[in-house]
Amino acid sequence: MNCMFLLSDNGEVMLEKQWMGQPVDRSICSWFWAQNDSRKVPSVIASPTYYVFHIVREGITFLACSKTEMPPLLGIEFLCKVADVISEYLGGITEDLIKDNFVIVYQLLDEMMDNGFPLTTEINTLKDMIAPPNIVSRMLSVVTGGSSNMNTVLPIATTSNWPWRSTDVKYSNNEVYFDLVEEMDVIVNRDGFLIKYEVYGEIRVIARLSGVPELTMTFANPSIINDVSFHPCVQFRPWETHQQLTFVPPDGEFKLMSYRVKKLKNTPIYVKPQFSSTGGLCRVSILVGIRNDPGKQIDYTTLEFPLPSSVASWDLTANHGNISSSPGSKTLTWTIGKMPKDKSPCLSGTMHLEKGMDHLEEFPTLLVKFKIMGIAMSGLRIDRTDVRNVTYSPHKGFRAVSKAANYEIRT
Amino acid sequence: MPPPPPHRPTSTSTPSGKGELAELKTQLRQLAGSRAPGVEDLKRELYKKVISYMTIGIDVSPLFSEMVMCSATSDVVLKKMCYLYVGNYARVHPDLALLTINFLQKDCQDEYPMIRGLALRSLCSLRVQNLVEYLVGPLRSGLKDTHGIKDFSEWAQCLVLEMVAKYVPEDPNETFDIMNLLEDRLQHANSAVVLATIKVFLNLTMSMADVHQQVYERIKAPLMTLVSSGSPEQSYAVLCHLHLLVMRAPVLFSSDYKHFYCRYSDPSYIKKLKLEMLTAVANENNTYEIVTELSEYAANVDVAIARESIRAVGKIALQQYDVNAIVDRLLQFLEMEKDYVTAETLVLVKDLLRKYPQWSQDCIAVVGNVSSKHVQEPKAKAALLWMLGEYALEMPDAPYVLEGFVESWAEEESPEVRLELLTAVAKCFFRRAPETQKILGAALAAALSDAHQDVHDRGLLYYRLLQHGVETAERVINPPKQAVSVFADTQSSEIKDRIFDEFNTLAVVYQQPSYMFLDKEHRGAFEFSDDTSTNASVTESSETMLASQSVDANDNDLLLSASEKEDTRGNLVSNGSSSYVAPSNSLIDGLGSFTVPPAASSLPTASFAIDDLLGLSLSTNSPESTLAQPSLVLNAKPALNPGAFQQKWRQLPVASTEDYGLSSQAAANLTGPQPLLKHMQTHLIHCIASGGQAPNFKFFFFAQKSNASTGLGYFLVECIINVTARKCTVNYKTDESDLLESFAAVFKSAILNFGV
Repeated sequence: MNCMFLLSDNGEVMLEKQWMGQPVDRSICSWFWAQNDSRKVPSVIASPTYYVFHIVREGITFLACSKTEMPPLLGIEFLCKVADVISEYLGGITEDLIKDNFVIVYQLLDEMMDNGFPLTTEINTLKDMIAPPNIVSRMLSVVTGGSSNMNTVLPIATTSNWPWRSTDVKYSNNEVYFDLVEEMDVIVNRDGFLIKYEVYGEIRVIARLSGVPELTMTFANPSIINDVSFHPCVQFRPWETHQQLTFVPPDGEFKLMSYRVKKLKNTPIYVKPQFSSTGGLCRVSILVGIRNDPGKQIDYTTLEFPLPSSVASWDLTANHGNISSSPGSKTLTWTIGKMPKDKSPCLSGTMHLEKGMDHLEEFPTLLVKFKIMGIAMSGLRIDRTDVRNVTYSPHKGFRAVSKAANYEIRT
Repeated sequence: MPPPPPHRPTSTSTPSGKGELAELKTQLRQLAGSRAPGVEDLKRELYKKVISYMTIGIDVSPLFSEMVMCSATSDVVLKKMCYLYVGNYARVHPDLALLTINFLQKDCQDEYPMIRGLALRSLCSLRVQNLVEYLVGPLRSGLKDTHGIKDFSEWAQCLVLEMVAKYVPEDPNETFDIMNLLEDRLQHANSAVVLATIKVFLNLTMSMADVHQQVYERIKAPLMTLVSSGSPEQSYAVLCHLHLLVMRAPVLFSSDYKHFYCRYSDPSYIKKLKLEMLTAVANENNTYEIVTELSEYAANVDVAIARESIRAVGKIALQQYDVNAIVDRLLQFLEMEKDYVTAETLVLVKDLLRKYPQWSQDCIAVVGNVSSKHVQEPKAKAALLWMLGEYALEMPDAPYVLEGFVESWAEEESPEVRLELLTAVAKCFFRRAPETQKILGAALAAALSDAHQDVHDRGLLYYRLLQHGVETAERVINPPKQAVSVFADTQSSEIKDRIFDEFNTLAVVYQQPSYMFLDKEHRGAFEFSDDTSTNASVTESSETMLASQSVDANDNDLLLSASEKEDTRGNLVSNGSSSYVAPSNSLIDGLGSFTVPPAASSLPTASFAIDDLLGLSLSTNSPESTLAQPSLVLNAKPALNPGAFQQKWRQLPVASTEDYGLSSQAAANLTGPQPLLKHMQTHLIHCIASGGQAPNFKFFFFAQKSNASTGLGYFLVECIINVTARKCTVNYKTDESDLLESFAAVFKSAILNFGV
C-alpha cells in the first residue's frame, strides 16, 4: 500500500501519509471524490493509475492507494483497523478530533504500516509506544512546554508470549465483563411469512485483570452456533474438541468471538402493515405487537419507511408513540419506545397521492428497530467461566442485549 | 525526483524562502557540538519544525548533514524523528544516505532494544541500492537478538499464506498436513487471513476433485459469516469472492440461497452481485422461493435493480425444466404497467418463446394486451414486433398493431426496430395475406427509401424475393425453425478460470483477470523478458532501451481495457466481404441482412448470417473467391526503427482484430518467442518487439508492401498468443487499408503454418 488519505465529509484532504519512496500525488483524492458523487462507490476500485480502497466512518473517508496487486481484503481490513485504532485513541472519529490530534494520528499511521506493509496494529502494543492523548499529558505539554507522547521504553507486549498483552498488568480491583451482543437479521415478506431470520452475535469482553490470567468459557448449548470466528488470543484446539473457549485476554476491551446462528423461528414481535390505495388515496394501517414474549422489555422500538415518491401529503395518527418525518429524506418514523404489553400499538390514517395518480406504484419496505436488554435472541447461554493462573478471584459480570439490526417488513 | 511538491504554498507555516532554512541550518550546527543542559529539548524543537515542513511537502533536504550530525544522542524521541527524516530523503539523495550508515549501524548495537529495533528498521527502509551490503550484518545479528518477536502477526501470516498457496505438495498426505495445520486460520477474526487461507485450500486441492468439493463446503460458513459480520466495505470485498465461488460451483450453494437475498439498504453494487448469485444457485428445489424473491425486487425503487431482477427471473426460466410458475410471474410483471418493467419483460418473454414455443398460448394472450404505446425501448419494441410477426395467427389484431408501427416508420429512430418491423410485417403477410398486403407494401416502400443501409438492403431483398414468388420468399424469410436449446454465455469459461486462479486478488473484485487491467509494470504472466522488465525506468535507458519496452509503454490502451477491445472487435469486422459474424440481432430467425460488396457497405454494423436453409449458400459461400483481391507483394527488407514503429502504432487506429486457433504443433514449438520470429521472417513479416513467458507471448510485427514510398505502406501487427488455449489474437493497423485484407490473409496463413 503506497499511501493513505483522510478526507472530510466534503472531500477536503485532512491528512496525507505516504509509506513508500515515491509519493502518490494527492490529485488521486479529487479523482476519487469525483467518482464518489453519490457516495455509492464500491470499496475497491481502480483509477487509471492506482487501485483505490476506501471505507467511511462517521463521515470521514479513509482512502488508501496501491500501485501493485494485493489481496483486497488486506487493504480493507487494514483501513478498518486504522479507523478502529484512531477511534479508540481519540474517543471517536470527527474532523475536529483528527485535526486536534494530528501528530498522534500521524505517529499511529507510521507505526501501523512499514514501507507499505501492515506492521503493528494491535491497540495494546500501540498504546505502549504512543501514549493516547489525555488531559494530563496535554496539561503537561502546556506547562512544561514540550513533553513527548512517545514512550521511551520498548513496549513489553512486543516481546511477550502474547503479543496482544503485556505481562506486567496490575489492577487493584480485578474484574472481567462479558457482553453478549446479538443482531437480528430478519426479512418478512408481504404475505407475512418469515423468509429469513438469522442472528449475528458477538461476545465483547472488558478485562481488567492483573498478571497473565488464562480464562475458559463454556456454553450451555454450543451446538446451535452455525459458524464462529475468534480473536487471535483464542486457542483453537479446545474449541474443536469440546467447544470450550480458552484464552489469555488482551488488556482492556476486545471482541472475543463472533458467531452466526441460522434458521431461527420465533421473532419477538409481529408487524402487520396494510397499504391499500385507490382513487388517489392510500389507506394505511400498521399494527405492531409482541408475538413471542421474550420475557424482557422490548425497548427503543421504532419503525420507519420511505414515503413513496407519489405521496403528496399524509394524515396519520398512532394510538401509541409519535410520528415524525424528516422533510428532506421523505422518511416517516414512528417512535414507539417501550413496547406496551397490554395493547398493540397501531398507526393508521391516509396518504394523499400526487395528482393524476390512482394508486401506489411502489410499496415501502418497513425497517423495524428495537432493543431487548438481558436476553440473547439466539438462545445462546454462557454456562461458566473460570480464571486460572492467578491468585485472586476476580469479579465477573455478564450482560446480554439483542438488537434488531436488519429487520425488514415488505409490503 | 524531488520530494512531494508543496501542495499548500499559502500555509502560514511555510518558511519565508531560503532564509529560514539557512537559519535552521546554523541553529542545528550550533547544537550539534553542544553538551549544555537542556540542549536535547532545543534539538527536539528544531527537529519538530523540520519534520513539520517535510510533512507538508517542503524540501528540507539541504539540512541533511546537519540533521545527521545532531542525531548523536541517547534521546529516543530525537532518534525517532531523525530516522523519519533520513528515511524520507535517503532514496532521493543516495550520497547523503551513505553518511547515515555509520550511525545507524552503531545504533543497531545500542543497549536499548527499542533503539536497536528502530535503527534496524530505518536501515532496512533506506532502499538505496548500493547500500544493501551494509544491511546484512545488522540484520543477521538482529535475527539473533534476545528481544526477537515470537510469532507472525496477522499481516505477516497473510504473506506466509500467500507463499504457501504457491507451494505444490509432494503427495496428498502433505496436502492434508498443511490443511490440518491451517484449518484454525479459517476462524480468524481478520478477514485477510481467512481469505488467504481459503486460497491455500483451493489451490492445494485443485487436482483432487472430491476434496476440492469438501473444501467448498468447509469454507462456506466462514465466508458467509464474514459477509454478515464485517463492515459494508468488507462485506463487499468478501461477497465478490463468494460470487466467484458460487458462479463456479452453484450446486454447492443451492441451499444457502437465502444468504443472497437483498436487503433494502444494500447499495446497488451489492444487490447486483446478489442477484447474479441468486440466479446461479437456482435449481428445481429452490426456484419457487428465488423467483418469488426476485419478483419482489421488480418493484424496487432502484430502476437498474428492478431491471436486473426481471432479467434474473428470465435467466432462471431459461435454465429450468419447470417454467410454469415462472411464466406466470413474468406475465404478472406485464400487468404492473411500468414502462421499464414491461420493456424488460417483453424481451424475456420473447427469449422464453424461442426456447419453449409450447408456452406461446399463455404468453401471447397477455402480450396481446400490452399497449404498444407503453413500449418505448428499442429492444422491447423489437421483441414485441417479433412476437407480432411470429404469432400473427394467435393475435387477432396483429396486422393492425403492425399498421400503427408502419405508419410511424419515419419517427422510429432505431434501425434495429425498423429491421424487425419489416420482418414482422412480412411474416404476418405470409399468415394473413389479405389483411396485411397493404401494410407490407407501405413497409417495403418505406424500407427502400430508408437512409439506413441495412434496412434498405433488407427491404430490397424482400422485395425481390417476393417478386420471385411468395412461396420462395416465405421459405427464406420465415422458414420452419427449431427452438433454441442454449443461449450463449457472456463471460467465457476460460476467463472465469483465469479469475479463479487469482483468488484473493483484485481480479476477483473487478471480475476480470489481471491481464485485463494491470499495466505492464505490475503484470505477472504477461511480463516481458527479464532483461527489459528489470530495466525499470524508461528514461534512464533511452540508448539501450529495447524496442519491446517502448512500444509496450504506449500500448496500455490496448491492454488495459478489455471491454473496449471487445467493442472494436465487434465493430471492426473489417468492412470486407470475407468475414462472417454471428448475427448481432438474434431475433432475425437466422435471416440476417445480405449486403452488397464492400464498397457499398460502409457501415460498420453490417452483419452477415448465412444459413443453409436459405438456399443462398451458393451465392454467398465464398465471396473471397469471387472478388478480385488487390495484389500484395511484401518488401523483403523493410526498414522501420522502433521509434517510428511506436509513433505509427500510436497514430493508427486498430483496423481489424482477429482470433486464430493454433495447431498443437505450433503451440508445442512455441517455447520462446524466437522460433516464431524466424518463421515469420521467412514470410517477410518482421518482428520489432517480443516478450512473455509460457503460456503467454506477445509480439509486435511489421511488414511493408514492396515499391512503397518511404515511410508508407506499412502493416503493423500486435499478436498475443496463449499457448495453453492455443489461441492467437491479432490486432492489425495499417496506413494501407485497401491491402489489409490481403495482408491479413498472408499473416494468417503464415501463422497457421508455423510448426507444420
